This record gives sequence, structure tokens and C-alpha cells, in this order.
Amino acid sequence: MANIVHYINQFFAGVGGEDSAGAGPTLVAGPVGPGRRLAELLAPEHQIVATVWCGDDIASGVVPAIIDLIRSVDTDGGVDLVAAGPAFTSGRYGLACARVAAAAHDAGLRAVASMHEDNPGLDEAGTTPVVASGEVARRMAPSLDRLANAIGLLLRDEPLTAADGRIGKLARLTVMADATAAERAVDLALVRLGGDHTATEIPLPRFDQVTPAAPVEDLRTAMVALVTEGGLVPDENPGSLESARATRWLRYPIAEIDGLQAGEWRSIHGGFSTAYANEDPHRILPLDVGRQLVAEGAFGSLFGEYFVTTGNGTSVANARRFGIEWAADLRHSGARAAILTAT
Amino acid sequence: MALTRLIHHVRRVGLGQRTTFTDGELTVSTDEAQGILADAALAGVRLSWLSPGESARIVKVLDAVEPRTKGPGGGGIFPGFVGPARPQGDGETHVLRGTAVVTAGFLPRAQEALVDLSGPAAALSPLGATHNLVIEFTPAPDASWEKVDAALRTGSLRLAAWLAEAALDAEPDEIEELPSPSPVRRDRPRVGAITNLQTQGLFKDVFLYGRSFGSSLPTLLDPGELDDGAVVSGQFGHPALKNPTFMHQNHPVVNELRRRHGRDLDFAGLVICPEPVNQADKELVSAFAARVCAAAGFDAALVTKEGGGNADADMALKMDALAELGIEAVGLYAEMAGTDGTGPSIVVAPEKATAMVSTGNYDHRLQLPAVDKALGGDEFALLHIPATEAFEVPTAVVYCALSPLGWGRVTARAG
Repeated sequence: MANIVHYINQFFAGVGGEDSAGAGPTLVAGPVGPGRRLAELLAPEHQIVATVWCGDDIASGVVPAIIDLIRSVDTDGGVDLVAAGPAFTSGRYGLACARVAAAAHDAGLRAVASMHEDNPGLDEAGTTPVVASGEVARRMAPSLDRLANAIGLLLRDEPLTAADGRIGKLARLTVMADATAAERAVDLALVRLGGDHTATEIPLPRFDQVTPAAPVEDLRTAMVALVTEGGLVPDENPGSLESARATRWLRYPIAEIDGLQAGEWRSIHGGFSTAYANEDPHRILPLDVGRQLVAEGAFGSLFGEYFVTTGNGTSVANARRFGIEWAADLRHSGARAAILTAT
Repeated sequence: MALTRLIHHVRRVGLGQRTTFTDGELTVSTDEAQGILADAALAGVRLSWLSPGESARIVKVLDAVEPRTKGPGGGGIFPGFVGPARPQGDGETHVLRGTAVVTAGFLPRAQEALVDLSGPAAALSPLGATHNLVIEFTPAPDASWEKVDAALRTGSLRLAAWLAEAALDAEPDEIEELPSPSPVRRDRPRVGAITNLQTQGLFKDVFLYGRSFGSSLPTLLDPGELDDGAVVSGQFGHPALKNPTFMHQNHPVVNELRRRHGRDLDFAGLVICPEPVNQADKELVSAFAARVCAAAGFDAALVTKEGGGNADADMALKMDALAELGIEAVGLYAEMAGTDGTGPSIVVAPEKATAMVSTGNYDHRLQLPAVDKALGGDEFALLHIPATEAFEVPTAVVYCALSPLGWGRVTARAG
């Protein structure tokens, strides 16, 4: 009998909604919430020995602690597999599920996450298996059927394929083809002319269509954050932010300052001439106007820090992750709106 | 119109007193070659042969040219540089197959490019399988880089014509008759090629009949004109994704369309297009190219590019413009999928035309062994280490390794 640890969020653990989204990782014996149905589907071959849950706002940032909890599970024969989700289209939950599964996979455990194909966390799973869930929690039952089937396949070391609902990244592996690209291109043209309208060697990349958030009801009482991809940092670049292909983002306090002086701040962005930005750093981060709007009463307040990264050759996966992390952090901090300046 | 290629296989090479081609052996006179390359912008040039299998590497590779001539003095070959700028592409052209004239050294904006003559990278570059006459150079102290670039281009084309002239009286190993594409519709699908050229200013330009193609609109070109060197590369960016003169002379998509012409398709023609730097010009060129293809009766077009990210926009716009006119488009794309192959593959994807062929992953890492000697420079600039050392590189730095013109067999597959 294989031992499974199930990862879920605070909501599905029955702890609470947004009010509990900041709760830290917690270990519970046996299945919890959707894990109960999952355990029934897996029985009698496999069992859910424990559940780890964590609040959505912080989960993706405390993955090592979650993995430590999973490894601490006291069970005969050790943990055989980590299952995460279903996360449906919930971004923060999906990101956490993807990262927990990927980290478990890196730690040498079998792992699988479940979420909808449009979940922005999907890319973070890397090549760790992910199976499709429904779009919303109403689709829990079929989503759990599919997850249980995937767990069974993985525990039997059988391939998990698109036919089983597998989604997400399959690594593009470099191989030698039998024919040259020119020969294959002519073949593909003739196949297309022959009526096959889908044949291709490269599937189209999926780019997100982001639905804008609802307007803020009353900006006069709202805390507004300033965030930027313009690479603006203190002059010495103390956090060593990358000028291109950024892999991270940084935060700097602005609560105590009213303006950004030339010479004290600098854009390290590698994708444009930064001369004008450095002449007046407000061209990248409009702190001056932000302070003015607060003074006029148009904004309730400004968030005490700004978030910054560099948008220059940055991978879509990293950019998507920055967005999820920024949104979670700001929501948790009470900001109701953010002004994102782009270059 | 038809072109006859007289192919002479070069099996052995050397340096000697006179430039000769006898029984497959090409001997080059260093004195004669240096005379041909002499230019006020160059303080000096050095010539060396590197052959397949040698423990050798060329770094800072610039252009490569296949030696060809149409007669004494070139007979009109490389029009606009060696011959006068008059239409070529018919008659006879002598080809020294299995050899290349290669310029290597520092030029501004040129990105570090390498060729290995042995080891895992040798099979990835067309120059890994040719005898390469490498031209290294020292610029004259007061010469502008523009003039150094121009001197190398004209000199290497003249030298390539001169080498082929040694074979004018030799019996060719093969004779290839290459008819021009026909405008007449028969009962086979009409498939043509669109070749984008990265024309983005100094050291990143491509020449048609000796003039920059940068501000031109797309045009039909007879494939024989490529054979005779009407398109010459001065584009030194994106080593794995560039189309040196050698590749235009041996355009793989054109060769494949010629091979299958009259069998399972009819070769409908070749359209060349610039890759401008701004979006409005990219849109104009793309829409214009699609109209040219429609006028030439294309049922399908194989679209190729040159260069990295922004060149994907030219591809996508062109493929969608073709789809709008009812022409089936197939794009040859190098993927930029990250070192582990999980990143988004292409920078700008077409929306309507979705047929793509992969020429491999730009970011795939290669382990290269140490070599006995290196030409082109002492240092491998990308890593600031001696050029002869062992190192790890992305496929992106290997000359023509992801050839957008479809030369290679490298590809990427989900797995």
C-alpha cells in the first residue's frame, strides 16, 4: 500500500477564506476536505497518510517548510507520492500546488498537481506531472477522478499522457531528425495542402488573456502601491537586480521619502537607454505624483514599499510568477490598487 | 532561363606557389591570395586551411563563401561586388564543392560565433564538413571598421571567384541542370519560398547586387541568382541563426523545392524580404510579400528567417498575411525554449498560420572539447577564456547550427 501526502489550501482544509490566507503550513493526519473523496477513490491500494495545508497568500513562498512537513510524516515505508490540489483556476493556490509538486519531485518523491490548464501557476510545475482539473470547485468530483487515476499510473510507473489529462510542460528535447528541416518543411506544406489543418512540429505557445480586476470602489480610501518592471533601484543596486533575463524581484521602502533624487536612484534596465530615467527617476516610478494625489485626497495612502523587477528578455514563466507574488503580497498587505509602470 | 552547375569535388587542399586544381586537390598560392585581399583598410591578412576531423576551432567567424565562378575574372559571379551589377542566374557556374572561404576576427556588433572541425559541434555546422580557407586579418591603423568590413567582403568574394577559376578547365564531377520556376500552373501544388534577410544596419546587413537590401520591398528572385551570388551576407549577429553567403549559395529550401519540382510539387518561386527594425515596416513588408506570392501563384510558401527574437515577428506577420490570402504557410523556426527545454518556444507566434518546423533549441547546452589550435582569435569572447580550451556553450553560438534556411537535422520534440 502506497503512502500519499495531500497538499491543499486553507479554504479546502475548512479553516477559512481570505481571512485565513496568511496562515502558515500545518500538518494533519489522514485525509481532509477533498482528500476524503480522493482517499476513497485510491482505496484499497493506496492511502492518504497525511494532509498539509497552508494559507494562499504565503504558501508559494514557504515551499521548503511545506516539504519539510511532508518529509516529517511518520509512516511505515516513507512517503511514496505527493498530490497537490485540485486548484482549479485559483492563481495563488495553483502556484503553491505547482511549486510543492515540483519541489517534492526535486526531492526525489513522485509528485502530481491538479489544476485547470488556464491556471497561471501551471508553468511553475516545470516538467513535474500536472493533470487537468475543472475550471471551478463545482467540478471537484471529475477532477478528483482524474487525479486519482494519475496517482495510480504514477505509482505503477506507467506513463501519464495527454489522454490521461496531463497538461503543462513537456520539455522540448533536442534530437536529430531523419531528414533536414528543409525537407520536413516541404513535407509539412504538402500535408497541409492535403487537408490536414493542424499538423506542426511546434505547438502554438499559450499566451494568457488576463481579465482586468473590477474597478476600485473608492480610491479616496484605498491604499495604492507603486510597482515597476523598469529596473529602478537604489544607486548601488544593493540587491544585484539583473539588467536582463530577471529571475527575481526586489522591494525597497519609500514610506519615509517624498521624492526620488537623481543620483540616488538608477535604472539598471538593459533594454533601453536609461539616461532620461536616471535624470529624473520619477519617470519610472511616479512617487512624486503619488504623494501629490494622497495630499489632494485622491488616494487614501501609498503602500510603504515599491516592488521592482526588470522586464527585458524575462521569461514568461518568471514574469507570471512575479505577478502572482506581487498580487498575493499586496492583497495581504491591504493594498487595493497598484500602478504598474512599464518601459 | 536555366542554370547549369558544374560541380567539382575538392578532396585535398594545400598552400603552394601557384593556385591550381588538379584531381580534386586545390592548392592556393598565399602570395596570389594576399594580392587579391590587399586593401588600404587592411594592414595584413593570414591564410590557413582547416579541414574536417582536425582538432581545431574557428572563433569570431564572420562570413563564409563557396568558391564559384562563371568564367575568367569571375564571368559575372557575385554581381555588384566582383562582377558588374547585372542580373545573373543563367548559363554555367563552376562550383568548388566541399570548400569555403571563411573570414574570422573582430568586427563591431559581430557576435561570437564558432566552428569546430571535430567533436560534437562539427556535425552541427555546414563548415564542420568543408575544407575552410580561413582569412584572419589585422586592420590598418587608421581604417574605419566600415572600411575593414567592406574590404573583407569584397576580398573574400574575389578570392572565392579566383579559387574556382582554377577549375574552369577541369572535368566536373557532376553536372546539375536547374530550370527556373515556371509561372505556368499544372496539376501539382505550387510551393515557393520566402526568405527573410536580417537587414538592420551596419555589420547587420545583407546585400542584393551589391547594395544594401535594408530599405527595399520584397521581390521575386530567380533561384539561380542566389547560386551566382546576387545575395551576399554582411550580417554578423546570431551565429546559429544567421544565413552566411555560403548558405544563400546553397539555399536548402530552394534546393529541396528544385529536387521535388515536377514530382510532387511545382516550384513556384523565391521571394526575398528585408527584416526591418520597426513594427510598421515589418507589417508593410509582410503584407507586400504575401501579395507578391499571390501574384506568382503560390499555393504554399515556406517562410524562413534570420536572427533572434524580433525576427519571429516578421515570421508571424508574414505567415498570417499569407493565410489571409489563402496561401498555406510553413515557418522554419529555431526555438528558444530555455536550457531545460520548458520555456515558451517562440517569441512571437502566428495566429492563423500554425504550421511550423523546428530547427532546434537555441538554449540547448553543448560540451565542447579542448582543441589543438584555434583561428580567428586567441580568446573565446563569450566566456573570456582561451579559444582552444574545453567549455560549455549554448547551441546559439555554433555557426548555422539552427540554420533558419533548413540546412540541419537538429530539431526539438516534446518528450
